[in-house]
Amino acid sequence: MNKPKLLTLFLSFFKIGLFTIGGGYAMLPLIHREVVDKQKWMDEETFIDGIAAAQSCPGPIAVNLSVYVGFHIAGWSGIALAVLGSILPSFIIILIIALTFNNWSQVQIVQNAFNGLRPAVVALIAVPVIQIAKKSRIRWQQYWLPLVAVVLVVFFHISPVYLIIFTILFSWIRHLYETERQEGESKS
Amino acid sequence: MIWQMFITFFKIGLFSIGGGYPMLSMIYQEIVIQHRWLSHQEVTDMIAISQMTPGPIAINVATFIGYRQAGFWGAFFTTLGVILPSIILMLLIALFYVRLRSKPWFYAIMQGLRPLVIGLIVAAAWFTAKSAFVNVFGVVVFLACFVLSLKFKANPIVILLFSALAGIIAG
Repeated sequence: MNKPKLLTLFLSFFKIGLFTIGGGYAMLPLIHREVVDKQKWMDEETFIDGIAAAQSCPGPIAVNLSVYVGFHIAGWSGIALAVLGSILPSFIIILIIALTFNNWSQVQIVQNAFNGLRPAVVALIAVPVIQIAKKSRIRWQQYWLPLVAVVLVVFFHISPVYLIIFTILFSWIRHLYETERQEGESKS
Repeated sequence: MIWQMFITFFKIGLFSIGGGYPMLSMIYQEIVIQHRWLSHQEVTDMIAISQMTPGPIAINVATFIGYRQAGFWGAFFTTLGVILPSIILMLLIALFYVRLRSKPWFYAIMQGLRPLVIGLIVAAAWFTAKSAFVNVFGVVVFLACFVLSLKFKANPIVILLFSALAGIIAG
């Protein structure tokens, strides 16, 4: 891949990183427009596969998708440029905020604003719970898992790390057990 | 110090499944409860800031905490730590995804994690509520924002601007 194209790749992702406010999912339509519609770097199907893969991988979805697109277009240097481009705007902006934080965080009007912002953040986190629960069609018998998770994390300060490892092992063993039972039934 | 922060954010990146919100419960657990680098309230404020600035929450929080604790290089290494697992794992998944997704065990694990993701988001909301529901005003703003977001699909930025304004007016 030639140099001007690598520069375009970096600038595209820089633009994506700069103009997506409100987290990773807000980035998806913008990445789609830039990568599929405008630059025609990959076709629709490859891109959809990338989203699915990015969702099943840990980490920020925007970074995951940048890795996927960058690698698809230009291998290792593609990954480096796409990831750097997508995180650099937020890195710079947060640095500026952190740098000046002590100057304005104690101002009364800012503190009052944060008194309003905090409950709003709770609402913004709580709403997706309902949307995800509806979308993922979880059977009500499965609700014990989120409930136990909340109690363990909030009241017993158990790290989510252990819950994730446990759930992965539990799902895997249950899967092995169920396949074995099905095979046993089909034999008899 | 920087090394410990790098490892902590590497862990957060590695175990952040299902996007930004479930990851917040990890951030509270590691940053507030375990290492006491920030208080509940400071993390909640940080989430509000990162909702109003570009980029994924994880990156924003990592950069902010890194800088507060250890200046520029702190910010550099926490940010690197949080994205490194993504880069490594995503590369593997990108290479093998077409083969992985047809494997029943892969599907079973992904299905199994879904309810857990919901639990982790509820835990994150709980941690935030600790610093938000300090008076009646907080509960009222929460209910208003909740309805605006769920029923009227209001833009998060609009919700945050209005709630900040409500906070200023209420004094």
